[in-house]
Amino acid sequence: MSRIDRVVFGDNQFFGINHMSQDKAQEQAERFADIEPIFGVYDQAFDAGVRAVMLNSNERAIAICDRFRARKSEYPSIAWYPSIPYPHKYANIVAEKGMVGALNAMLFAEGTGSALGKIARGGMALATLDAVRLMKLLVDQEMGMFRGLDVRVVFLQNIVTDLMLGYDQAEILGEYCAHIHKAYGALPGLITQNMPLLRRKLIEWGVRDVVICSSINKIGYLMSPGIDAYVDALSANDGNAYPMMAMSTLASGAIPAPEAYAFINELNVQSVVFGASSRRNIDQTVDLIGRRE
Amino acid sequence: MSDTKLKLAIIGAGRMGITHQAIINTHPEVEVVAIADPSTLITKLLSKYARVKTYKDHRSLLEKESLDAVLLCTPPALNREILHEVHKRGLHAFVEKPFALSAAHGAELTRLFEDSGLVNQVGYVNRFNDMFVRVRDLVGAGLLGTPLRFRSEMYSRTIIGEQGEEGWRATHASGGGAMYEMASHAIDLINFLFGRPDRVGGTCLTKVWSKQVEDIVAGSYFYRSGLTGSINVNWSDPSYRKPTNKIELFGTAGKLLADQHGMKIFLTDAAPDHGLEAGWNQRYITDVATNVPFYLRGIEFTAQLCHFIDCIRGRAQSRCSFADGTAVLEVIDEMFRDAVAFAPAAEGVPA
Repeated sequence: MSRIDRVVFGDNQFFGINHMSQDKAQEQAERFADIEPIFGVYDQAFDAGVRAVMLNSNERAIAICDRFRARKSEYPSIAWYPSIPYPHKYANIVAEKGMVGALNAMLFAEGTGSALGKIARGGMALATLDAVRLMKLLVDQEMGMFRGLDVRVVFLQNIVTDLMLGYDQAEILGEYCAHIHKAYGALPGLITQNMPLLRRKLIEWGVRDVVICSSINKIGYLMSPGIDAYVDALSANDGNAYPMMAMSTLASGAIPAPEAYAFINELNVQSVVFGASSRRNIDQTVDLIGRRE
Repeated sequence: MSDTKLKLAIIGAGRMGITHQAIINTHPEVEVVAIADPSTLITKLLSKYARVKTYKDHRSLLEKESLDAVLLCTPPALNREILHEVHKRGLHAFVEKPFALSAAHGAELTRLFEDSGLVNQVGYVNRFNDMFVRVRDLVGAGLLGTPLRFRSEMYSRTIIGEQGEEGWRATHASGGGAMYEMASHAIDLINFLFGRPDRVGGTCLTKVWSKQVEDIVAGSYFYRSGLTGSINVNWSDPSYRKPTNKIELFGTAGKLLADQHGMKIFLTDAAPDHGLEAGWNQRYITDVATNVPFYLRGIEFTAQLCHFIDCIRGRAQSRCSFADGTAVLEVIDEMFRDAVAFAPAAEGVPA
């Protein structure tokens, strides 16, 4: 039995993210500008049997989490798969204020009285340069919005995972994983565009019980260094130590769903996260992913 | 492949410096030996966690380290002096755009590095984007007939609130403003596709939030061949979630619209050699995408650094040299002059 849900419902469609078409992304952003249409789609996903939701900690997710908490009885019990942080928030701060300015802005974001603010004011984390402690505080800040929800896996976004991977940061990634286990009783997850390298490094560092989420699709789109390395890594993988979650399974729509999931279902992949915004696509996808023996 | 790794240093550990370091760290032929940055916070973090030697300025770094190449990611106003030092020591250089702040300085640096046979590259990343490379191939093959009109556009929500007057981004003298930082990419894309325009005109520089520099750049380009086009760049447009870069090309035989993710092509007649039909055709990034050994922020960021290493190893010829960077600066210089002529009251435009 897998440690994670086979089918996880993603959120890209709600937030104007479409890697294939900026026009489509814009259309979706307009359709889901209000929260009601978002919940209309969630209802369809729950009707289709979905019981797991991935949600990025962007500012709009706050209202979504609030509603799930406030109307808990109206929904089935849902396992949550948050992904943190919202990278554009930090990217924009860095673009505007530079690296050091951004660090200060992040530390004081919740006022000098907050845990982060106290540390920044005392200069503790910066003076001793305890990046691990800083990382834990930033994680806790991002996780605030998910309080009271049943969190199963906490994912680190690929921009952060892969930056740390490039720096060969065993310590920071390892401590992230330990912190998620300990503070949230959840499995740590790492989203990456470099799955074979990340998996090899995690094994080398002795960090296990980590969910790895990466693009996995038939045409090798966003699969560095290449599709063969992915197929090899998956077939060698212990899905208990490193449960694998596939994203971008349709390669942003380049692969028809039946073909896409016939490929995925042949692989040693424990879970699939997908986004869709019509009942037809949701039903079809859930059915196709579920066909695995 | 040579047995010895290339010894490389990074000067300037801001957002680009850090991205480049993470990427180049994974290159099997490269060893990042040192980093220079004036921020004690950044250098302490990097020396503790990235285990590299750190320096607070480029001078001490270049003096003490024995190197093959540098990645230069400093505010552009500092580049000229640093590049003279780098050249004196015979090092290959990859420099973040816009690489210099005038065509004269660009030409001077180009001569220096070319005459010494040193690899020189500027970080105009669109030249390594699979979609734009494909667009260039198609235009070069004459798919659109004779090109007549183009439009190069970039939008983002980089500056969407009151701006402080501190930091290098606040003034042209230090390399700030939408022209140097953002329009330079759109201009280079035009140069990449059609070569440098022969004349510019109708340049408008508009402030939205910035006090001394422009947030919107618009203008027209003219070629002796009869080709004309326009540019529109706005980094204060909050309707865009992510930076967006798009082009539209019109020629005697068809029309092409592209961004980093896809392209639409309308052809009067079918082009079976390219697998394209008469009427509308759609190509997605997934049709043209290549993989890179390590992915961070986009395939093109890794591709351009791998290319730099390939050039040093003699496996490739520079696809984005200082000469290409200078061609962009020539257009920028002309646009600044044109903006003053066009709107004498414009402030913050270098004379």
